[in-house]
Parts: sequence; structure tokens; C-alpha cells
Amino acid sequence: MANALTEDLKYDYLSVDEPPVRDERIGGCTAYFGCCSGLKDDFRKGCAQALNRKFSQSGGCQLMLAMGIINTISNIVTIIHSPLGCCSNLAGMAGVRNISRASRGLKTENQTFIHTNLDELDVVNGGIEKLRRAILYADKEYQPEVIAIMNGCVPGVIGDDVDGLVRELQPKVSARLVPVHCEGFKSRFVSSGYDAANHGILKYLIREPKDTDESGTETEYESKERISKTVNIFNVGSNSHKDELELSRLIKKLGLIPRVVPLHASVYDLDRLGEAALNVSICATHDDYLLGHLKERYGTEYVLDVLPIGINCTNRWLRKIAGHFHLEKEVEELIEEETKELIKAIEPFVKVLKGKRAFVGGGETRILTTADFYRSIGMEIVGIKSHNLDRFVQYLLDEIDNPHLPVEVAAGQPAEELNLLKRLKPDIYIGHIGANGWVTKLGIPNIPLFGTTINYMGYSGAYELPRRAARALKNTNFSKNISENTELPLSDEWMKTDPKKNIVRGALF
Amino acid sequence: MSDFIERSKFSCALGGAITTITAISKAIPIVHASGGCAAALSNTYNLSSGYRGTGYCGGNMIPTSNITQSHIVFGGEEKLAGQIESTIRYIKGDLYIVVTGCQTELIGDDAVGVALKYRENNVIGVSTPGFKGNTLRGYDEVLCTLIKEVVEKTDEKEEKKINLIGIVPGHDVFFKGNIEHLTDLLKRIGIRANTFFGDGESIEKIKTYGRAKLTVVLSETAGQLAAKAFENVHKIPYITTDLPIGPKATEKFLKLIGEALGIENKIIDRVVKDEKKYFYSYLERIVDAASDLDFQRYAVIVADSYYAYPLTEFVSEELGWIPYFVAVNDIEDDKLQEEYKNKFDRLTSYTKPEILFENKSGIIEKKLDLIFKEQTGSKYHDRPEPMFIIGSVVERVLAKKYGAGFLSVAFPVSNRVVLNKGYAGFRGALTLTEDLLSELVSAR
Repeated sequence: MANALTEDLKYDYLSVDEPPVRDERIGGCTAYFGCCSGLKDDFRKGCAQALNRKFSQSGGCQLMLAMGIINTISNIVTIIHSPLGCCSNLAGMAGVRNISRASRGLKTENQTFIHTNLDELDVVNGGIEKLRRAILYADKEYQPEVIAIMNGCVPGVIGDDVDGLVRELQPKVSARLVPVHCEGFKSRFVSSGYDAANHGILKYLIREPKDTDESGTETEYESKERISKTVNIFNVGSNSHKDELELSRLIKKLGLIPRVVPLHASVYDLDRLGEAALNVSICATHDDYLLGHLKERYGTEYVLDVLPIGINCTNRWLRKIAGHFHLEKEVEELIEEETKELIKAIEPFVKVLKGKRAFVGGGETRILTTADFYRSIGMEIVGIKSHNLDRFVQYLLDEIDNPHLPVEVAAGQPAEELNLLKRLKPDIYIGHIGANGWVTKLGIPNIPLFGTTINYMGYSGAYELPRRAARALKNTNFSKNISENTELPLSDEWMKTDPKKNIVRGALF
Repeated sequence: MSDFIERSKFSCALGGAITTITAISKAIPIVHASGGCAAALSNTYNLSSGYRGTGYCGGNMIPTSNITQSHIVFGGEEKLAGQIESTIRYIKGDLYIVVTGCQTELIGDDAVGVALKYRENNVIGVSTPGFKGNTLRGYDEVLCTLIKEVVEKTDEKEEKKINLIGIVPGHDVFFKGNIEHLTDLLKRIGIRANTFFGDGESIEKIKTYGRAKLTVVLSETAGQLAAKAFENVHKIPYITTDLPIGPKATEKFLKLIGEALGIENKIIDRVVKDEKKYFYSYLERIVDAASDLDFQRYAVIVADSYYAYPLTEFVSEELGWIPYFVAVNDIEDDKLQEEYKNKFDRLTSYTKPEILFENKSGIIEKKLDLIFKEQTGSKYHDRPEPMFIIGSVVERVLAKKYGAGFLSVAFPVSNRVVLNKGYAGFRGALTLTEDLLSELVSAR
């Protein structure tokens, strides 16, 4: 059951330089507008996966998501092999990496990144020589443990042989060289970026650990004992350290040893990914590639199921883990104890939120689990928007009992979403970064779907979700003022159009 | 040939184009590229430019052709045409500007040609692939196209009207405030300035920019191509000068433009006298603290050429700080470097700064480390302390390392929220003084 979501998927791609993009490996739907039951049918038949849109707005790029993983590794220099625009958002994130590191008690490190700054001449002559100089500079100046090379669209189109250069330079430098193939144009699923980064980590970064533990004092028996109880929790860029603490706390209560990887991990930790009895995903969309591969490589079983958000999903997540260790009795005790306390604590918020109409938009697993929680405390879910839709959430979709629930599948595309929101007029919107600002301009109070300092996971997260929503409704002046005094660029014609008409079949992807 | 860059303070030409277009009232970018480029590049400026935000039609609202693998094979012109047609129906705008990314330029799509077919619908096209250059190049490409395609040709010139360019929106985090300060000042000496991005500007007004008598460029690296376009297409001559910060620089600025337009000196003198009086009536407030607490600092400036000299000049000539070390991040050409370096000879401080042209943050840090290290080991050392670093948020770690005061002014600025604040002119210089000195008292 644990592997139902990944049944018939293969994870033996290490022999190739580039992993297959999600379009080939997983497939899925990137454009839909309709009701929940329609989407379920169309997805099952494979029709939803063939849809595209006419009027389109900017979405995401897999390079950014790959960078979101790679950039967290300790003692790393990243080289963006591209013109200056790719990852230029790093310019304004000078402190963000260190805020994350400091919150985890890690040593702060200057964020070092290099652009190969490909120009018109490089487009003609190739950018390999510049990349070579950049790698040698990074190795000499900073002696990092890892140098990651993020491949942008330009080298992808002109055909720079980055892997060839890495093979040539690896014996000459002290850092481990990790090429990451994440050219934006290659996939319409930004989640391909997760696979690209994980592929780089699996193929080039991790090596056989020399000792089993840092001090070298652990006996073989102790080491086996430790590993037999160790649970790797695979974190994601959208979870906070508080989330990690909460999930670790619950794992510990079951008598197991939690270890949070791969984000913010050191090379030492990554080399020891195999030293665990169980690998546990908190978001299937993020890391099936990683967990599936680790199963093939080290034989480690994995749980790839639900995001531990809200009471039902946290319970379910814990039961899956406990099941592996035959801790069924212990987990039921834990769940009973935790939920009893929590349900009492959220009572005042539930009172405020009961009957309130909510809309949730963002990544597929996050929105479906978040919506499920708000529904479970008596809110009315009036619509959902998912960035994409694939096999990993099909069962969550099946569990929605309102066949008429309006559903949009779109990465970004605020025009479609605002059109829908204007019709639905929810009391509160819970959404992905990039969407909330537009929703404020529409006059709808909102809270973010996730945040790097917000705890939404586990039971403490299930306290925060209603607490934040209730707070947002205590004073809605900001969105009211903004909507009265700013203008959205969408024309009346668009706002009167049914966004369903924007979805087309058969267009080129 | 260009080299790799460490901790770049620029995005690409497409990024420059997007930040420029979204700063023009009701101008809509249509990005012919892969799906992520537009939102990602726009986001660079939304966050790193003092939280400037997406504005009217930035961020993920930007219409994009969303080029993927199959278009790389079969071409994306058809997709672009469809995208233009839907955008002009669904997005309210006064001008739609098609701009291009690397992918579509590499495969040879003629995006500008496709845009031309929709010219009557207020659509124009500009080629702006990332590999064409940095932010400033994208700014110039967009302005050049506006000047050629949108600004109407006329032989009638207005004697006291100028085009003021070189202030790159978003890349100059304080562009709005700076434009406001300068246009207000110019107005007081009878000159109207066209600015593309200032409050009250519009596409309709941009059409009339051909009536200007003179173009004033406030940067050696941005706006030069646009100034030449004004000269070639509209017969408007141009002069290049620095962003004026503080009484002395601003007086020079007003005199330079006044002279070029034949404004009587006494009009300028009266405005300068009033503004100087105003400036010092406020600066006087901090005289006691500055003297009692010894606010004089060794100034280290790390910025692009647009800000590097003006900031150095201000702290040296107005505040009387020691201009010690200047790193300029954006000039690569040897001759331009030499010319830029010569500006610093004008400083009246006895100490002249060491000038380094460098776009690798690690090399700048090494250089500063060396300055500090030379002094260690001896009992007495004449280090450049107390130091104040004025740069971008990137230099914050250096300030921490050397125990220096710190203010981020040049792009990127992600540690401050900037709304209508500006540092240009007399009043902007007061604001800059407030911000600099607030740093020195913030722990009290």
C-alpha cells in the first residue's frame, strides 16, 4: 500500500546524464477549468492531460525549483551556466538562506553564486570555456565541498557539453562537481526541477560514507540499532523549521529516530542517506524520484503518501510510518492524546470560521490536504486551484465528496483565477506566493498557503491553520482599501468570459 | 569578451526590458519565451528593488507565449500571434510591447515581425534575449524602440523641455523618488522634463517627447543608446551628466542644463539659494551629534557606475567623510573606465579613493581584506576605521565583517522597503543623510 502512488514507476536513471522530465516520466494535467467530478473523469480517461490554454500568463521555471533544493546544501557554490537573468532573484535573497540556516541552528554562510554570464559571442562559440574558468575560480577561491552547475536554456539549446567538462575537471578539483540539467523550456511541469536537482545529488554528489558515525566510537551493533530506528523525513522548500521540529517530535514519540534531509543538509548527511530504516516523504510531488531511487540503491522502504497537514492527514501520515515498524498500538495512543488536546485548543477559532467560505490555491498536495482540513472544521470550500495535477493526488481528488466543486488547474495564470474568485466571492483565500497580492487587489482577505517561518504541518500546524485564518478575518481593512484604490489589468470582456473557453484541446505543448 | 560574474547585481536584457515596461503607465509586456522567464525576472525587481511589487501588470500577470520543447523544434511564431491577439482583448493597456527571451531568439523566431502585424492595435516588438546583455541593455532596447516607433516625429521643439533618461526603473531602487525630486527642481527653473516613468507620464505623453530640445542622460552605462536614438530619429542633442545628490552637485546639474537651454543664471541662483538654505536649516539639526559623537567616517562605496560616483561625491563634498575605496560593478571597457576614474579627481578631499572596477564580489572582498590585514600584527594600526559601507544588500556581510556602518542604496536592496523616497537633489540628499546617520544611532 505504501508504494501505491509509485506503482509501475522506474527509478534506474543514473546511467544517463539527464533524468527524464516529468512530462515523460509522470505526465499530468496543466490546464483545466470545470467541476471536480468532470476533472476526475477527464483525468482518468487521459483527456485532462491533453489540455492547454489559449491566453496564457507567466508560470514557473524548473530551474528555480531545482535551485531551491541545491542552494540549501551546506558549503556549496552554485554556478548558473546561463545569461544573467536566470536565478537573478537570488540578488534580493542575500539574507534568506541564512535566515533558514540560523533557524535550524546551522552555521551561517555567505551565499556564493556565479553566473557564467553567457553573451552573444558565447552563443556562437559555446560557453564551456567560461564555465571551466568559473569552476576553477570557485574551487580555488572558496574550496567548497560542492560546486553545482545549474544549466539554463541557452547551453541547453546550443548544446554545451557540461557533463563532459565535469568528467574532465572532477579529478583536478577538490569540490564535488554536480551538474543539474534544469533548462526551463524542456518541461511544462516545474516539478521536473526537483527531479533534476535530486538526480544531480544522487548521481554526482553522494558517495560511499567512510565511517558509520562522526565520532567513530559507535560499535557495529549500535550502528545497526540506530539505523533500524532511523526515519529520514524528506523536507521541502515550502516547509519551515518549525514543521520539521513538529514532525520530528511525533516520530520521536513513537520511539524512532528522525533525521531531516535533504534540504540544508551537509555532504556528510547526504552521503549517509542510506543509513535509515524508512524514508518518509512529506510531499509526493517533490520527491518520489529521490525515494524511489534510494529504494533501488539501498533497499530502503519508503512511505510516499500524504502531506501531514491537518488532523486527518497527520494521523494518516503517522499511521503509515508506524505501520512499517509495527507500532499500531503506540500510534493510536499518540493520535488520541494529540488530537484530544488540539481539538479543544482550536475551538475558539472553529467558532469564528464555521460556515465561512474558503478558496485554496497552490501546489496539488498542499491545497488538497489544506482544503480537507478547513472543510473538516466546518468551513465551506468553494473552490480549489492546483498548479498541476498528476497521479500523486488522484486519490485525494477521489476523496472530495462535492462533485460540483469548481476546480482550476493552472500554474500562475491569475487571470483565470481572479475571474473565478470574482464569481465565487469567498470569505478567505489561502494561496501560493505570487497569487495573494492579486487576490488582495480583488478585495478578498487572504493568508499564505505556506511560509518558510510558518508552522502548518503536524498537530501544532493544525492549530496554526485556523488561528491564522481567524486572525485574518479580525480586520480586513487592508484588502478592502487596496481593492477600492487600485486597478486590475483584466478587461471587462475577460471578466465576463467563462475561463473554460480559454482551455483548448490539441494545441502544441 | 565578457567574463563570468560573481553575485551579479544585474539581471539580463529581458529582465531589464520587463522592469522598464512595467514602470510605464499602462504598458503591457508580452513575453515570447519559456513560461518561467517573465514572472521570475519580474520577481527579481519586485523583491530586490525595495519591494517595488508587481504593479499593474507584472509578475505572473505578464502574458507569455510559454514556449516549450515542441516550439523549439517547430517554431513559436504562431503561438506568439495567438498570445498577442488574446492579450489585446483581455488585458487593458495603452501599449503592448512584445519582448523576447533566449529560447525564441536562438531558434530564429521573428517576434518583432509578428508584433508589427498588430501595430494598429498598439503593439510593438523589441528583441531582448538575455544573452544580448544585462538589465541596462534591456532598458535601452525598450527605450530605443519607443523612441523610434511611438514618439512622433516633429520639427517643432519646445525651448524649455528636456528628456531625462538614464534612471533605470527598478535597477535604481529609488527611481520614482529621484525622478520626482529632479522634475520638481527643473520645474522651478522653468524646465519641463519628460521622464517616461514619473508620476503623470503616459503613452500619450511619450508620443510628444520628440518636441524636447535636449536629452539629459544620468548614466554612462544606461540610456546612451536611447539618447542616440533621440538624436538620430528626432534630432535632439544630448548631454551626459551624473545623478546629482546634494547642494553642490545639484547646483552644477541645474547650471549645466540651464546653460544648454539658455536659462538665466539668476533664476537658477535664486532656486539654489532657497534650496541650500532649506537644506542647511535641516542639516544643522545633526551638527551637535555629528560633532560630539564624531560622525566622520571612512567611506567605502560598492555600486554600479550610476550610483558609485554620485554617492562618493556626496559623502566627500557635503558630509566631509573620507572617500576611501570605491568598487564600480559595471564598466568593462578600458577607455570608459579611465574616463570614469577621472571624475574622482574633482573631489576636494585630501584623500582620494582607490578605484576598482570589478564585478566579482569575492575579489572586492579580498581587496578589502587586504586593506585590513596590512594593519594587523602591529600594536598601532591606521586602519580605515570607523568605516561606513554604502553599497547594495550584497555588501551587508562585509560591513558586518569589518564592523562598519552600512546602507544599501544600489540594486539589490532587499533589506528595506522603498516607496516614494529618493536621494537626488537637495531634498533627496537630506533623506540620504537621515538614512546614513540613522544607522549610526540605531543602537542607542
